Amino acid sequence: MHLGLFEGNHVSDFLQCNQDVIMTLAILCRRAFSDLRQNFCAQLITTMVVSLSILIFAFFTLLYFNLQHFVDRFGSELGLVVFLTEDTPKDRIPSLYQKLTGLSEVEKVTYISSEEAFGRLEKFLKDEKEVLEGVDPQFLPPSFEIQVNRAVFQLKRIKQLAGEIDKWPEVSKVRFGQEWIDRLYVFSGLVRTIVAVTGILLLFTAAFVVTNTIKLTVYARQEELKIIRLVGATNMFIQGPFLVEAFLQGLLGSSLALGVVFACYRFVQGLEAKSELLRGVNICFIPWQYTVAIIASSVLLCVLGTVLAMRRSLRL
Amino acid sequence: MISIESSIIRLKDVSKKYPPDNVVFSGIDLEIEKGEFVFLTGPSGTGKSTMLRILFCAERPASGEIWVDGVALSSFSNAQVPYLRRKIGVIFQDFKLLSNHTIFDNVALSLEVIGLGKKQAEQRVMQVLEGVGLAGKTSHYPLQLSGGEQQRVAIARAVVNRPSIILADEPTGNLDLQRTEEVIMLMEELNARGATIIFATHDDRLFENTHRRVLRLLNGKIRI
Ligand SMILES: Nc1ncnc2c1ncn2[C@@H]1O[C@H](COP(=O)(O)OP(=O)(O)OP(=O)(O)O)[C@@H](O)[C@H]1O
Ligand SMILES: [Mg+2]
Repeated sequence: MHLGLFEGNHVSDFLQCNQDVIMTLAILCRRAFSDLRQNFCAQLITTMVVSLSILIFAFFTLLYFNLQHFVDRFGSELGLVVFLTEDTPKDRIPSLYQKLTGLSEVEKVTYISSEEAFGRLEKFLKDEKEVLEGVDPQFLPPSFEIQVNRAVFQLKRIKQLAGEIDKWPEVSKVRFGQEWIDRLYVFSGLVRTIVAVTGILLLFTAAFVVTNTIKLTVYARQEELKIIRLVGATNMFIQGPFLVEAFLQGLLGSSLALGVVFACYRFVQGLEAKSELLRGVNICFIPWQYTVAIIASSVLLCVLGTVLAMRRSLRL
Repeated sequence: MISIESSIIRLKDVSKKYPPDNVVFSGIDLEIEKGEFVFLTGPSGTGKSTMLRILFCAERPASGEIWVDGVALSSFSNAQVPYLRRKIGVIFQDFKLLSNHTIFDNVALSLEVIGLGKKQAEQRVMQVLEGVGLAGKTSHYPLQLSGGEQQRVAIARAVVNRPSIILADEPTGNLDLQRTEEVIMLMEELNARGATIIFATHDDRLFENTHRRVLRLLNGKIRI
C-alpha cells in the first residue's frame, strides 16, 4: 500500500477552531437536493402529512370566518334608534347630532323630528290615517337614526354604546336590533366557539402529527447523522439540508392545502352565482393575513420540529 | 519531563466511568509526542476504545484533563468538537460506514465535511482507495463488501484528509496476515510523513519485534 498523500501535512494550523468553512448557500442547497432525491419517499410523505393537517385546519378556519362574516353582515344592517325626551329643547339638537357623529362606531346619523315621525306614521297607515285625526303631531318623540360603522361592528360594542347613549339626560330610550338578531348572536357565538375550539385542537393535532412524522424520519437516519458528525461535520453541515427540506415541506405542504381550500371556495362561489338559494350566503375566503400566518406557522412548525428532532443526534 | 509543546497528546489524571459504577480507568497520566507511533494494548473490555473515544471527544472524561496539541479538550464546546475531529483520523473498530452510500461517497465524506465538492475530492479519494486496494469497488455499497474490505474503506476514510493524528482502533481485526502487514506499513508510512499514530490492538504479534512504545491498559491503569 502506498498513498503518497502527506506532502502537505499542516500540523501548524492544527486546531484553529474559528477557521470556519464558508458554507455557501450553493453547497447547502446541493446537499439538500441530493438528500431530497435519496429520501424522496420520506420527504413526500412528510409533505403530505403537513398538507393534510393544514388542510383540515384551513377548512375550519374558512368555516369560522364565514360564520363571522355572515353574522356581521346581518348585524351591521341594523342600526340604533335614539329617542329623545319630549321636552328636549330644539336648540340642543345640533349639539347632540355632533356628539353622536363624533363617536367612532357611528357611520351616519339622521335626525327624525316629531313631525317627520308623524309623517312616516301617516304614510304607513295610508288609507287608515283618519285614526290620527285630531292627534297632536308632536305626540311622537324626536329621534336619531344611527347607522353603525361596518368595519368596527361588534354586537358587544353596540350594546355598550347603546347603554352609554341611554345615560344622556336628553335620551329617553335607545332601541337596537330585534330580538332574533340577539338570539342569532348567541347561537352563532356558540357555533363559533365550537369551531374555534375544534380548530385549536386540530392545530395541536397537526403540530403533533407533523413533528412526530419529522422525528421518525430523523430518527431513521440517526446512525447516519452520528457517523457524519464523528468524521468532523459541523452541526450546520448536518442540519442545513434538513432545515432546507423542512422549510420546503412547510411551504409546499401548507400552500397545497390552502390551494385546495381556495379551489373549494371558488367552487362554492360558482354555485352561488347559479343558485338562488345560495345567493345570500356571500362566501368569503380566509383573510390574507391569516393565510400568510398559516403558511408561516407551517414553515415554523416544520423547522422547529426538525431542530428539536435533531437535537439528540447532534450532542457530542 | 516533556513539555506541553512537544507532546501532541497529554492526559493528566484522567478517569472515565460509565453509569452506574463501571470505572473503566482512573488516574491516567500519559504523554505522546508529536510524530510518535504507539501501540495501545490490553485485554478485551479494558477500555482501549474508550480511551480513543475520549481523545476525539466522542466521550467526555469523568475527571482529569486532556490536551491535544496544547489545547485543553474541556475548553471545546460541543459545537467546536468538529474542528478537532477534522485533524484526527479515526479508524473505528466497527467501521461506522454509511450503508446507503457508495464506497466512494463514504471516503469522500471526510473531505465533504471540510467544504470540498465531490469533483475536488475525487482525485484524492481515488488515490487513497487505490492505496488500500479498493479502486475497483468505488461504486459498491458497504454491505456488498467483505469485513476486511469494509475495514480498508474505514482506513481510507480516516486518512484521506491527511490528519495530524490517527487513532486506529483494531484496524487489522478482520484482516489476514498479508493485509495486516500492509496496514502496518501504511501506518508506518503515514507516521514517517509526520502523523502521530495510536494503534489499539489486542494482537501481541503486531508489536512483538518493534522498538515502538507499547501502552498496556490493565485494570484501569496504563503500564508501559
Ligand atoms: N457506551 C457504553 N456504556 C456503558 N459502558 C460502556 C460503554 N462503552 C464501553 N463500555 C464499557 O467500558 C469498558 C471498556 O470498553 P471498551 O470498548 O473501551 O473496551 P476495549 O478495550 O476496546 O475492548 P475490545 O478489545 O473488546 O474492543 C467495557 O467494560 C464496556 O462494558
Ligand atoms: Mg475496542
